[in-house]
Amino acid sequence: MSLERRTLPSTLSASVPTKYQPNAVMPDVKVLKIGGQSIQDRGRAALFPILDEIVEARRLGIQVVVLSGGGTRARHIYSIASELEMPTGVLASLGKYIPMQNARMLQMLLAKHGGIYILPDDFEKLPLYLQMGCIPVMSGMPPFGYWEKREEGSRIPPHRTDAGVFLSAEFLGCKRALFIKDEDGLHTDDPKKNPSAPLIPRITAKELTAKNLPDVVIERMVVEYLPRAQWCKELQIVNGLKPGQVLAALKGEDVGTIITAT
Amino acid sequence: MTKLVSGDGRTHIESRLMRESLQDRAVLTGTDSDRDIHIFPDATMISIGGQSIFDRGKAAILPMVDEIAAIKKANPKIKLLIGVGGGTRVRHTTSIALDLGLPVGGIAQLVGAMEELNAILLNALLAPHGSMPMQRDHFWDLPLYFDAGITPIAISVPPFHFWEPPPAHGHEPEHGSDFGMFQMANVLSMKSLIFVKDEDGLYDSDPKRNPAAKKLGTHLKLEHLLNNLPAELPIDLAVFQSWKDSKNLERIQIINGLVPGQLTAALRGEDVGTVITKGEKS
Repeated sequence: MSLERRTLPSTLSASVPTKYQPNAVMPDVKVLKIGGQSIQDRGRAALFPILDEIVEARRLGIQVVVLSGGGTRARHIYSIASELEMPTGVLASLGKYIPMQNARMLQMLLAKHGGIYILPDDFEKLPLYLQMGCIPVMSGMPPFGYWEKREEGSRIPPHRTDAGVFLSAEFLGCKRALFIKDEDGLHTDDPKKNPSAPLIPRITAKELTAKNLPDVVIERMVVEYLPRAQWCKELQIVNGLKPGQVLAALKGEDVGTIITAT
Repeated sequence: MTKLVSGDGRTHIESRLMRESLQDRAVLTGTDSDRDIHIFPDATMISIGGQSIFDRGKAAILPMVDEIAAIKKANPKIKLLIGVGGGTRVRHTTSIALDLGLPVGGIAQLVGAMEELNAILLNALLAPHGSMPMQRDHFWDLPLYFDAGITPIAISVPPFHFWEPPPAHGHEPEHGSDFGMFQMANVLSMKSLIFVKDEDGLYDSDPKRNPAAKKLGTHLKLEHLLNNLPAELPIDLAVFQSWKDSKNLERIQIINGLVPGQLTAALRGEDVGTVITKGEKS
């Protein structure tokens, strides 16, 4: 019996290819997030006009994949779990359930327009769904769960639904990820607490990181990953409470704030 | 009593995080403390190497299985969780996928299947001695497994899949089976994580290629290791980087699975191979 390692030579295995030539999986898809606390916790008054614009975009032939956020129920369970000193991985697992509820609500509302609920592993079926004119809806929470890393000085999972939206767009090879919130975009401070904080229409990830803001409208992990992205090099944040913004963004217009990789 | 709060157009549930931005550093700090609850503090995670053990075939695998069987026989209530690496098939998959230009999330989705093959082999060999495959995150079944003398064999590759973040360097996933097993040991606050490899611990270079390679020591502090990283490590760097920011796991041990008795000694708490610790106690 030989103790030798049995390796698998391949014509490629001698050296990792020096030039990586990435292939975009579905570059024409628009990945869009409907905010939890910012939109869905407001109920029909905020949500229905946004869904109308998504349906209109789909009617125009734009391929849209809708991802959901968490919101106040996520904050409630994170708050209780933090008091109990649960590890971050447990919080991330708890954090999966609320975006799942929100995605199912969105699916029920979009069903008559082709809304279908998909699971993380269903990306491989997207070509069919989109060619059929469907609007796939899924949870924005990445599936890391118990494998979520802890961030220094916090118990809250650093990858939440913004990260899931960005990572989905990056995997699919989309140029831009779209975030529908209840603010006009990125401000120098939380505009709900400081209404005079000015809007930033366009900024690079590096500039944003250098500002070292005490609070930002989008998860910090996403800003950290953006410069490393192969495909998703822009994040667009629009105000879903303003009629027309979602449709304009889905048509590719530069409304709201755009955060760029470089 | 919990109440629903409205008035700003949104409906909130009253909680400490109500209305708060979860990006606000002050809010985040308020959720933290210097400890986590300890869920399985007397359990040990064992990682069996893909290239180092399984790719060597029967001559390396069977003695390892015999040793685990003997350990379980001598101590039927020992709380072990086992995971395996994927070895050369993972490298082959990655090399083809990179040539095809597949995205990092696509590569991450592919590789786990190769570790699964080794897990099936291990289960087939260890089942007569009491082992079972554990579903992805069925951690809450563990008390039952432990009580029944069953050793669960976990899925070692973490479920990052299509959502593998863009890596800091290169185009390969950063979160492989080493990281997955580390994370399970850490989130469940196990007492130790043992990597079964084919060298007597950590060296400043690969002793298989460099006979003059020097062992880094029997005891290492994580901080010292991170400040003096060797050019090549037999364990993914993501493990040590994540360990730095984690609270629970105190001990990682790297041992030689080709030397009979090292795993038994490591499980007795003996300092074979290289022991890396984090806190004040060494």
